[in-house]
Amino acid sequence: MTVYLRQVAAIVRKDLLLEVRTGERLAAMGALTVLVAVLFHFAIDQGLVRMQLLAAGLIWMTILFGGMLGMGRTFEMEREQGAIQGLLTSPVPLDGIYLAKVVSNFVLVTLIEVVALAAYWLFFGFNYGNDPLLLAGVLGVATLGFVAVTTLFSAISAQTNMGQTLLPILIFPLLVPVVIFGVTATGRIFASRPVQEVEGSLYLLAAFTVVALTAGTILFRYVVEE
Amino acid sequence: MSLARIRWMATVLGVLGVAGVLVLHWLVFFWVGTERTMGIVQRIFYVHVPSAWVTFLAFGITALCGAAYLWLRDERLDWAAQSAAEGGLIFGAIMLTSGPLWAAYAWGTPWTWEPRLTLTLLMWFVFVGYFLVRASAEDRQAGKRMAAVIGVLGALLIPLVHVSVLWFPSLHPQPVVLNVEEGPTLDADMLVTLMIGLLAFTLIFFSVFFLRYGLEHLRYQRALETRGQPRAA
Repeated sequence: MTVYLRQVAAIVRKDLLLEVRTGERLAAMGALTVLVAVLFHFAIDQGLVRMQLLAAGLIWMTILFGGMLGMGRTFEMEREQGAIQGLLTSPVPLDGIYLAKVVSNFVLVTLIEVVALAAYWLFFGFNYGNDPLLLAGVLGVATLGFVAVTTLFSAISAQTNMGQTLLPILIFPLLVPVVIFGVTATGRIFASRPVQEVEGSLYLLAAFTVVALTAGTILFRYVVEE
Repeated sequence: MSLARIRWMATVLGVLGVAGVLVLHWLVFFWVGTERTMGIVQRIFYVHVPSAWVTFLAFGITALCGAAYLWLRDERLDWAAQSAAEGGLIFGAIMLTSGPLWAAYAWGTPWTWEPRLTLTLLMWFVFVGYFLVRASAEDRQAGKRMAAVIGVLGALLIPLVHVSVLWFPSLHPQPVVLNVEEGPTLDADMLVTLMIGLLAFTLIFFSVFFLRYGLEHLRYQRALETRGQPRAA
């Protein structure tokens, strides 16, 4: 078990180190996140709609697009350089590789969420409610589910000649539960509603995340085997 | 199964299915009683429910054959999964067009975002992805495996769709045939018409299924024959 965890940690470390040194994905994701917020500013007539009422939906769509952009490249870099062969033939079990990619993607998307929250606060003065701990919990659980699905499918789209064009078509149908319950939960937190009103959505998000992680861990080996 | 046998089965099932659909339409237009509150629009039901049934049956077959393919790696399982998925996509399109036609009158709106409609639409899109992945995979074998993975994931939605009507209060009618507590709640003539619809659509589906399966069989034979030579366009 400890060996397994060490192997997973080694891949996570490699991925994050690459990200720190090149900043490739993070830069693109961060830029997109801010730009989407800018576009929303011009796309929505703020004389007609109070932006605060749309806050949860706007932030989630931004996270989804920003996250997808970066996660679509989860396996691209390794395929371009042929490193994927080394990774797949290494003694690390295939599910370990999947979990490592989930962890490193989770870190990236969490950073993007901080950027998104900051950008929307700066541009629109959004009020994020008075329970930051609960907000972090909901975002964390929902993000893990989002990342679990997207990581699996980025391994699929990387092996097609449509590449990242295919990714949203594959993942959006499966991510609808994250959007439904994520937006409901965060919307209520933003409105400073009592915890009881958030619990239901949080449990459903947790259930989705567990199913997505389990399915991803089991099915990943069939996607990447040579 | 030999190719000749597959073709023969497809033909027989097809003839029976088309005959069944003709009978169904005669029953729907001239025989079955008109429902009291919805009037003649309710007759769309006899096309909508059978196509929905076939869609779920087809995607169920795709998922089972896909899962079995991942396990056993028998090419025939992949042919079956692919053939069923194509049928499911077609009958799903019938379901997703006949439903709104009925709902526009019965509910006053062609579409609502209640769980069953939403999940069914999403499941249909998952299987659109199924074919996109197959078609664009750089490696054919990998394409088959990846499609099987998507088929399994898409089928996870099927039980959700079924229970969504029971769990969540919604506009979509409750089951009138598979109703655990009260048994079938349809009038006898409506039940007969519906059953003939279910039978006819199922026969047509399996006819298309076997035709498609036979085509994959043929392609496989051809590939074996031309192995070693440059592949024909």
